[in-house]
Amino acid sequence: MTESTSRSRTILVVGGGISGITAAVEAAEAGHDVVLVERSPTLGGRVAQMNRYFPKLCHPTCGLEINYQRIKKSKRIKVFTMASVASVKGAPGGYAVTVRTRPRYVRPNCTACGDCGRAATTEVANPFNYGLDKVKAAHLPHPMAFPMRYVIDPAVAATAEGRAIEAACPVGAVNLDDAEGSFELEVGAVVWATGWRPYPADKLTAYRWSEMANVVTNVEMERLASPDGPTKGRIVRPSDGAVPKKVALIQCAGSRDLNHLAYCSRICCLASMKHAAYVREQIADAQVDVYYIDLRAHDKLESFVQRVKRDPQVRFVKSKPARIEAGAGDNPVVCGENTLTREVYAEPYDLVVLATGMQAATAEGEVPVFAPDLDDYGFIFPESGAIAAGVASGPLDVSMSVQSATAAALKAIRAVSA
Amino acid sequence: MSHVPTPTQTYDLSFARWVYGHVDGGDRLALCMQCGTCSGSCPLGPQMDFGPRKLFMMIRAGLKDQVLGSNTIWNCVSCYNCVVRCPRQVPVKHILQSLATVAVREGYPGARETDNARFAKAFWWSAAKYGRTDERLVTAKFYFSYGLSKGYRKSMANLAIAKGMVKARRMHLGLPHKCKNAGELKLILARAAEIEARHGDAS
Ligand SMILES: Cc1cc2nc3c(=O)[nH]c(=O)nc-3n(C[C@H](O)[C@H](O)[C@H](O)COP(=O)(O)OP(=O)(O)OC[C@H]3O[C@@H](n4cnc5c(N)ncnc54)[C@H](O)[C@@H]3O)c2cc1C
Ligand code: SF4
Ligand code: SF4
Repeated sequence: MTESTSRSRTILVVGGGISGITAAVEAAEAGHDVVLVERSPTLGGRVAQMNRYFPKLCHPTCGLEINYQRIKKSKRIKVFTMASVASVKGAPGGYAVTVRTRPRYVRPNCTACGDCGRAATTEVANPFNYGLDKVKAAHLPHPMAFPMRYVIDPAVAATAEGRAIEAACPVGAVNLDDAEGSFELEVGAVVWATGWRPYPADKLTAYRWSEMANVVTNVEMERLASPDGPTKGRIVRPSDGAVPKKVALIQCAGSRDLNHLAYCSRICCLASMKHAAYVREQIADAQVDVYYIDLRAHDKLESFVQRVKRDPQVRFVKSKPARIEAGAGDNPVVCGENTLTREVYAEPYDLVVLATGMQAATAEGEVPVFAPDLDDYGFIFPESGAIAAGVASGPLDVSMSVQSATAAALKAIRAVSA
Repeated sequence: MSHVPTPTQTYDLSFARWVYGHVDGGDRLALCMQCGTCSGSCPLGPQMDFGPRKLFMMIRAGLKDQVLGSNTIWNCVSCYNCVVRCPRQVPVKHILQSLATVAVREGYPGARETDNARFAKAFWWSAAKYGRTDERLVTAKFYFSYGLSKGYRKSMANLAIAKGMVKARRMHLGLPHKCKNAGELKLILARAAEIEARHGDAS
């Protein structure tokens, strides 16, 4: 191990999704100081954007709320939101880290009363709902936000609207002078828990997601089904708000494909079982067709697939659809070959859901120069010596992410204790 | 009595391995995961007896005669839909066309009788003779490969189209176009045939 002059026992966790939160809490509860840095205005990551999550189809609050409580109780965790790591120098045991922060324009004394949101007039695309709807320029990131604090879009900060927003706050929490900043940290270990993003569906040109309103992705489907989503949880067609009676779920949309993500994203098959269940719970007479190459229900979740398979209104078609065409009435028409019957089909649907995979958040352009070794797909290479938690290390579900985060906490503890 | 069935065929990979090693693009064929994208993408898919996906499985199953006698290898129009979409980057089109060549070389009955094979032959005749393809001669050669009366009927049925093409200056009247040095072309082609024969022997 490299000799380092200034050693630190603090652990830095980059990314505040379920993995980063878990790593932070585990390390803190074992008696270590932790700094948790999250780029967005709230912790929770992608799990917060789910309607429900397998295996037990719980609401994301169950997993997140308990961890938020653990963070609040711990005196050892410092959370920085709207913050990202600008540079990391040093070696295990002693790193000098620069953290860059973006302005939130709202101070910690915000009570989340929402008066600022009511004063705002500008609307911006809502990242929480993957841009399916808009939010006021002063908004709460989502109902489960941590910290429970509003955020103001920089676009209105220096305007008359910004001043109206400031005036509306009854506790004086709005701070229009907030600005970008940075600070230095000394830490002994870095846990990378930067997670994933949905594979960009516009790259799947044959599936025409960009052109056709009624072709959506699986992450959009989670939002459509969520009570706090753009449709208040009603699954409807984006084009006309009609209730879809015939829904296609297309597996491996961009995964296991050398032209896109060469690997299996591992969770999309089960996510689609969930989506079949969402549709069938809401729409009694709906027909759901699942197009698959082969269903990969990992681990103990085969029983979930079997449960969905018992539903006579869910049909499984062994085929990777070749393309989607535009049909009458904004209906996407799914075309391909049924590989069990050799029948070449062209089947119209009210709604098509693409099971897009998980791409490493570290992939494509955002890899910081100091980043640990990445594999061909942007996941953190385990042999590189870097400590990775959750999907930053490869496609995992929540329970596997939590296991990997606990392991990461242990590795970090060992690194700062050496 | 045992109820356990006894297979009548053993698993024989010799044909598949030969294809992997000798057919253009065959080295990637083992990567095929039977997803069906190729057969679903193919504009001729519904006309094909098997379609590329099933044909590839038949290669693995050692069904040499059915593969080389199939109309799938002759129906490919080189649109490349399958090639750009195949998630395993299997060069589907190259494999089909290369198999068609093998079918001809191996004298598979029917291989020379398909529309595509007849057209390919007419096309090649003109290209080899003149160094150019002459629309009229290629078409005539193609039509009359079906016999005199059928060829005549086909020609008459398409006369209006031919007239329209002449009018639009898409088909010319008069002597066939020729390349400048047809003699040299012949030498090049003879040499190519020699190389191909050697390649065929090695196969
Ligand atoms: C459609 C779909 C449905 C799913 N459904 C389920 C399910 O039902 N059950 C289940 O178990 N799993 C499910 N999953 C998988 C699940 O979403 C992941 O296992 C989980 O999100 C992993 O959490 P994570 O913390 O590793 O990553 P993330 O949730 O991606 O969190 C990463 C966090 O890091 C932050 N971050 C990224 N880069 C930086 C940076 N440079 N600096 C600071 N912060 C950064 C991000 O803002 C984010 O908050 C599903 C996945 C998909 C695609
Ligand atoms: S598209 Fe490719 S992988 Fe899929 S069946 Fe055809 S050749 Fe095989
Ligand atoms: S290249 Fe040939 S086999 Fe492939 S899709 Fe086009 S016509 Fe069909």
